[in-house]
Amino acid sequence: MATLKVEIVSPEAALWVGEAAALTARSSDGDFTILPQHTETVGDIVPGVVRVATSAGEVAFAVHGGYFQVGPDGVEGQTIATVLAGVAERVNEIDVARAQIAKDEAEAQIAAASKVEQHDTSAHLLAYAALQRAELRLRAAAK
Amino acid sequence: MAGGQERILRRRIKSVQSTRKITKAMELIAASQIAKSQARIVANRPYRDGMRRIIIEAARADPAGAARLLATPTNVASAIVVVLTGDRGMSGAYNSSALRAGERLVVRLRAEGTGVRLFCLGKKAGAFYRFRGLDVEESFAGFVDKPTFADARRVAGVVAAPFVAGEAQQVFLVSTRFLSAATQAVEVEQLLPLSIPVMALDDGPKKLKGYTEFEPEVEKLLTSLAPRALESEIFSALLEGAASFHTSQQRAMAAATDNADELGQSLSRIMNRARQDSITTEIMEIVSGAEALRSGK
Repeated sequence: MATLKVEIVSPEAALWVGEAAALTARSSDGDFTILPQHTETVGDIVPGVVRVATSAGEVAFAVHGGYFQVGPDGVEGQTIATVLAGVAERVNEIDVARAQIAKDEAEAQIAAASKVEQHDTSAHLLAYAALQRAELRLRAAAK
Repeated sequence: MAGGQERILRRRIKSVQSTRKITKAMELIAASQIAKSQARIVANRPYRDGMRRIIIEAARADPAGAARLLATPTNVASAIVVVLTGDRGMSGAYNSSALRAGERLVVRLRAEGTGVRLFCLGKKAGAFYRFRGLDVEESFAGFVDKPTFADARRVAGVVAAPFVAGEAQQVFLVSTRFLSAATQAVEVEQLLPLSIPVMALDDGPKKLKGYTEFEPEVEKLLTSLAPRALESEIFSALLEGAASFHTSQQRAMAAATDNADELGQSLSRIMNRARQDSITTEIMEIVSGAEALRSGK
């Protein structure tokens, strides 16, 4: 039987490894779903929610940008889908209160930086990246 | 008098013993860190390998782009050298071997007429090269014991900037690789243009071109992948460096503890001999004094 093995991997640890029915995410070309026996594919993942459908229900991850690779596994008939994410977490482990605080802080920093017209400084960019991460976490947790 | 010597020896023994306590404590702390930092290397492996696989896949599909991003440049006017050491000493040859390898690399590059820009990771590297009168462009410290991916990202951004801007054609990393718990070795690695996939390109299974699908198209993907791959390689190097540091420190401190034991033992032997001598002398004095009194009667 054709099966799909999914790995969600961050630099610090493998977040999730297991059998799944499908993997859904969004690349810069648009939404896609990987099913067992999917052809070999390499692509990127834009910041968003990656959903893994398993027999025990759906597992969702907030992925802050990354890449994926699909290919045949060593085992006959098994397809392996690897998601590489610099920063990622399981949606049900997101600390909403902390994300909210982070969002407020980032917004305050951006507002402060905008006043003195430092649009291109790295501090401004960092604050903006932090804001995006916080917003993604809140969006993912709200669903 | 002999009693004075005994007192001096007792003081030395005490100082050796308190040094031993410190080295023993450092040994135990380092030992506890080894397991942790080794576990982090293992945890990082799937990500590092996955990143390398993706790069190889993309490089195979787009040889032209790969040649631009991955090939070794022929004309290098300016190169960047990044040296990774620890923040602290007391770790045997860990710092000095990386520093020496880094210095050799700098000398070799300069002899070839290449301009060198030096970046340091770890307090020891920055201090060493500044003291040697080398121009250190930027020195990072405070995280090499326990690097996080955010640290690697920051470093990658800084060292890649001149390369991206075309000011430097090559980026080298001098770091200690954690080959196994027993062996660590200093290695010079070319970070940019990315070097690992080029080596692996030939030994992978041959595949038909265009067999793999890319989203978005491979040229775009490869360009955006390169900085991520650099971050990943730097992070792996930081993790391996941290593990090597702790291993090296544990070994150095174990040796220091053994030496302190030995020194304490030989000192206490000398002290016992001295005490024995002074007792013997005292008895001799008493006896000869008594003899003199008796014969004087």
